[in-house]
Amino acid sequence: MPAPPVLLASGLVVQFGAVRAVGGFDLSVGAGSSVALVGRNGAGKSTTMRVLAGVLPPSAGSVQVAGHDAATDPAGVRAAVGYCPDVGGLIPRATPWEHLQLAARLRGMRHWHPRAHALLERFELSEAADRLTASFSHGMSRRLSVVLAAFHEPRLLLLDEPFDGVDPHGTDATLEVVAEARTAGAAVLVSTHLLELAVRACDEAVVLRGGRVVAAAPAAELAGAEGAQRYRALIG
Amino acid sequence: MTGPLAQLRALLGLRWQMARAPGARLATLVGGVVLAWLLVQAVRAGRGLDIALLATAIEVAPAAYAGFGLLAVLAPLTSGGGHLVPDDQLVAYPVRPVTHLLGGLLLAPLNLVWVSQLLLLAALTSCLTLGGSLLRGSVTTLAYVLAVTVLGQLAAWLLAGLSQSRGGRRLAGGTAAVAVGAVVVALQGRSAAGLLAGSPTADVVDGVIAGGDGHLTRWSVTTGLLLLFACVALGLGVVACRWALRRPGDLGGTLSGVRRRRSRPGALRSLVAVDRASVWRAPALRRAGLVLAVLPGLLAASAALPWSSLAVLPGLVAAGAALLFGVNAFALDAGGAVWLSSLPHDPLLGLWSKAVVLTETVLLAVVLAAVAGSTRSPGLPTAAELAALLCSAVLCTAVVVTLSLSASVRRPHRADLRGPRDAVAPPGALALASARLALPAGLVAVVLGTAGGTGVWWLPPAVTAAVLGLCAVSAARTVRSYTDTHVRARVVHIVAEG
Repeated sequence: MPAPPVLLASGLVVQFGAVRAVGGFDLSVGAGSSVALVGRNGAGKSTTMRVLAGVLPPSAGSVQVAGHDAATDPAGVRAAVGYCPDVGGLIPRATPWEHLQLAARLRGMRHWHPRAHALLERFELSEAADRLTASFSHGMSRRLSVVLAAFHEPRLLLLDEPFDGVDPHGTDATLEVVAEARTAGAAVLVSTHLLELAVRACDEAVVLRGGRVVAAAPAAELAGAEGAQRYRALIG
Repeated sequence: MTGPLAQLRALLGLRWQMARAPGARLATLVGGVVLAWLLVQAVRAGRGLDIALLATAIEVAPAAYAGFGLLAVLAPLTSGGGHLVPDDQLVAYPVRPVTHLLGGLLLAPLNLVWVSQLLLLAALTSCLTLGGSLLRGSVTTLAYVLAVTVLGQLAAWLLAGLSQSRGGRRLAGGTAAVAVGAVVVALQGRSAAGLLAGSPTADVVDGVIAGGDGHLTRWSVTTGLLLLFACVALGLGVVACRWALRRPGDLGGTLSGVRRRRSRPGALRSLVAVDRASVWRAPALRRAGLVLAVLPGLLAASAALPWSSLAVLPGLVAAGAALLFGVNAFALDAGGAVWLSSLPHDPLLGLWSKAVVLTETVLLAVVLAAVAGSTRSPGLPTAAELAALLCSAVLCTAVVVTLSLSASVRRPHRADLRGPRDAVAPPGALALASARLALPAGLVAVVLGTAGGTGVWWLPPAVTAAVLGLCAVSAARTVRSYTDTHVRARVVHIVAEG
């Protein structure tokens, strides 16, 4: 019997007043898989990510993460998810170490120091571990958000624009984190506008338009100039 | 680049368009009309003063003018604000320093203390010019109001510039400590009214009276000097503003690391530790908090309030303390609110954490003010007066915390709180919040003070128990609202992204 998917979203709808941000989103991501969520600005990628992370309640439809139903067991969903939001995502007057401390406490993690040190080292944030994040550059903030998302080795890793403004070292570190998560059996969903990086990070890509999936294909098909042309045709 | 007035008009227009909350524009217009009506009533009250009280009015007028001057200078130093549009939203535009300064001046009336003191000056001016020219007296008073308000802006920008470096912060802190020490020494054996009466504002009052009596030379010299003072302060304010805005700064010391602390046991304690640090590490909140810890107590001590009046003090202090961050408590999380809400914990812990930090902040300010204020109160309190003071401290804290948490859930705002003049909410919202807090807290304090005056010791606790019940009902409503995932998502969205 095939293993159940880590993420199963069906008929997901998010409505803000008269505006439908997500209109019937369906997606299934299995353990060890990584999927790129691509599309134009306003296609509903970040809103979808927020619903999957348990931050935003859906207006309709269902979300199951690692067997937890988002409607009936939101705490279970949040425990299984590691989420890097698209903007901000950091408490401005707390340090990276204090973020990690808080995450460890709220997630009930023990013996987390070695993992925290390793991640900070990998993302070249060790020296800034006790600085307030208000003083961070955009790229540093992005890197720390990825660290926080991957910290507890989640079953579902949600990375929203993790490469935005990040230098090559940070990009490599993020790609390594994605690869390791997949090896450990996690499902990974990456939302990005950087097609080449989406192709490197993921083996599948789904294209969102108007809040619904309009195409799904192996990520490799979006590589190169031909892939980019195809992508442009898909996003409209 | 357009001129400062054109820029100011554009920013005002933008501010007006940004007031999108239901009834915000109407409330602004109604506020303006109410202020005009109150000014007319104040002038009428002054005109209707019993002639026998005129000598008393002349005697207290220099102290009242000095009091206004003191608050006009201190308010911009403590309450933050001063930006028509948040600074971080204007970085891409060539806004002139003088535009920033004029914007801050326009916002000065959005302060309950400033307005109440202005009404007092209006009544006094009317009274001091009884039977003479109210117009000339008013011109002098307005010139004085303008001069000290501009001085307040100059001081605020100077402090903003100094706050950009460690040395500057030490200099500002040292100066403040010396000033407080000087006031304490000066008050030895003297009352605040006596000190203020000897201030240069006696000349301003003479100018107002001269205007009313038709002594034009005296009046025009005083008024002219005040206007000249205002112009010089305006010029220096522009220089200070330009200097403050151009200083590279050290981001309030955030570039250097902070000491690593042990992890707190328990989720709530961990959240409280982060929230407490968020308050203390915000330059504007830290400065205002320090002032709040010292100033009300110093003023109360200098006034040598009788025990029967001390119960009123917690109402005013609690309302001021809650304005630090309480009326928009979730803004402490800023962009981190999105990440926090993705962590597996009871969402109510976030609300409790804000409640704990707000309660301890308000209670600390209230206790410090009450203790300092009582040091010069004559004699010993009766049991009822003591009960009234204690109950007032507890109840005023409960009232403002309850109202603030409700406002934080119902009317969240995005607030950066990085700069030395940043405020927790937009100017209009903050002014409205100050009225919403000060009126009930002040009323509760007055009722308890009156109850204490009856000499019945159990009356203040009885009143407290009844009002605490109402607070519990209001708090329960806020908790119910916050448990709604849509309400929480709205709060998170607004404080994180605006």
